[in-house]
Amino acid sequence: MNRYPIDLSGHHERASATFEGRPPRARAAPSAASDSTGALDSLSDSSLRGRQQWFARAVLTSESRVLPVSEAEARHALTPGPRLGALERLDIYRRGYHSRLVECLADDYPALQHALGREAFEELCRVYIEHHPSHSPNLNFFGRRMADLCRSEPRESRVPHGFCSDLATLEWAIVEVIHAPSSDPLTVEGLQHIPANRWGDARLVANMALRLVRFAYPVNTYFQSLREGADPPIPSAQESATVVYRSGPTIWRMDLTGPMFDVLSALLAGDPLGEALGRAEASLAHLDEQETVARVMFWFREWISSGLFVRVAIGSSGT
Amino acid sequence: MANRFDVPDLGVGLGLRTVHYGRILESRPEVDWFEILSENYMQTAGRPLHFVDAVAAQYPVAMHGVSMSIGSTDPLDRAYLEELRALRDRVHALWVSDHLCWTGVAGKNTHDLLPMPYTEEALRHVVDRVKEVQDFLGAPLALENPSTYVEFAGGAMREWEFLARLAEEADCALLLDVNNVFVSAYNHGFEPHEYLRAVPFERVVQLHVAGHTHHGTHIIDSHIGPVIDDVWRLAGEAWRRAGGVSVLLEWDAEIPSLEETHAEALRARLFLGEAA
Repeated sequence: MNRYPIDLSGHHERASATFEGRPPRARAAPSAASDSTGALDSLSDSSLRGRQQWFARAVLTSESRVLPVSEAEARHALTPGPRLGALERLDIYRRGYHSRLVECLADDYPALQHALGREAFEELCRVYIEHHPSHSPNLNFFGRRMADLCRSEPRESRVPHGFCSDLATLEWAIVEVIHAPSSDPLTVEGLQHIPANRWGDARLVANMALRLVRFAYPVNTYFQSLREGADPPIPSAQESATVVYRSGPTIWRMDLTGPMFDVLSALLAGDPLGEALGRAEASLAHLDEQETVARVMFWFREWISSGLFVRVAIGSSGT
Repeated sequence: MANRFDVPDLGVGLGLRTVHYGRILESRPEVDWFEILSENYMQTAGRPLHFVDAVAAQYPVAMHGVSMSIGSTDPLDRAYLEELRALRDRVHALWVSDHLCWTGVAGKNTHDLLPMPYTEEALRHVVDRVKEVQDFLGAPLALENPSTYVEFAGGAMREWEFLARLAEEADCALLLDVNNVFVSAYNHGFEPHEYLRAVPFERVVQLHVAGHTHHGTHIIDSHIGPVIDDVWRLAGEAWRRAGGVSVLLEWDAEIPSLEETHAEALRARLFLGEAA
């Protein structure tokens, strides 16, 4: 079983610095409002809330659209500076808003950005930001819908949507595992407390910092290749499965075969050991019983020693 | 003059950044203290807490947030405040700071530090909310002057007047970011020393310094690169007016090694006097 650690020391901060705007390809220069879509009222309500709602509507306006406020309207609401007009000053905030969120998504999805190329990735992010604005004070989970967006993205792309969606699913599993709680892992010694006559109905309790995912594309191979410094081609469709988990501060990805996935998913679903291991007999029907048992026990030991489980539950108790 | 909140002068600290985790925990460098970004350790039960616990066990820590949105007209986020307080207690943070700004309205969050209109209405609003937060935390909140790129028309006062009145009326602490003073002074055309003269330094518990990006027409508070001497000189003036206060370097993009970042922070000694 191949296991790959991830060094996340480069994860970006949620800092108080102002982000510099990187103008997108289709962005129009700020100018008088002529775009009928989402035209912004002039500031008629000068209460604090009225000002904030007016300002926020401008900042949240997609960069692919003309800022829906005229210079005269901006001057009514805002002061010009020594060297920039009121509208140009307002636009600094709009660029900063979009750039910050694009950087956040790039931080969560570095492989997807590589696969699509920076320009296409930023376009995708701008669609994402428009469809899924943040409602949380925290950006940790802002990017959670990227795989869904990739799957439903109607525009043509040189990279198959299914590949993008799978890759985003893998990268999001890593984010989730970073933030999930974890407990001390179950050890092989811990298994020795299970009475021999209770093995069949014992259930394993999974590490909460674990995600098991199945893909139509070999995205973990692609991801690992990128991490090793290669520039891999977009692979053809080929089913794959990966378990992503954290052990202490280290994030790991482990490739799984189809039979491994069947057994592990049954264990994670809380199936008793007897039933879950019985899945292997069906998946490994081409092997004799002795070989099947030997193979499954090897997987089992590997998963236990990797920290995929935290305890054993027998009946309503645990050990 | 010590600050009125008896917040200690910790010396010259660094903003804790993920790229430095390994180096800090391996070699325990002699950094006076670290400022942690509150939100990096909120809404998580995982890996970030592993690191912040280890750092907090070895260094004095203060918390700096970007999402309290103290100026917003949306209700204060109680869940956020509860998590903030829990983190404060977990890492034994010596103080908690955030910004004089709002980050969103009507439920949407821009994750940016948006400017306040400096009106009497806004002042009343923020004073009430700061009092509410301080009651909740059971401790003074330190508010930082943000960098701004635009000002609302129809303001009744300048930013420094607003900040001074807010601090007095809410009885809160201040985190004075001298780079932000420099940036906003250039962007709005005021004199940074005039700003400093209005600051109630008995309420200042911390200074921020940082690099910025000069575009000719405006300056962006990018936290990139070393601090320019003009900003260090402002820090020196602020430090002397405060009678000594904790100083912290923020470096958030193209972050160099811990040693290089720390060396930049220690340039403070050239400008703040031997006691820093």
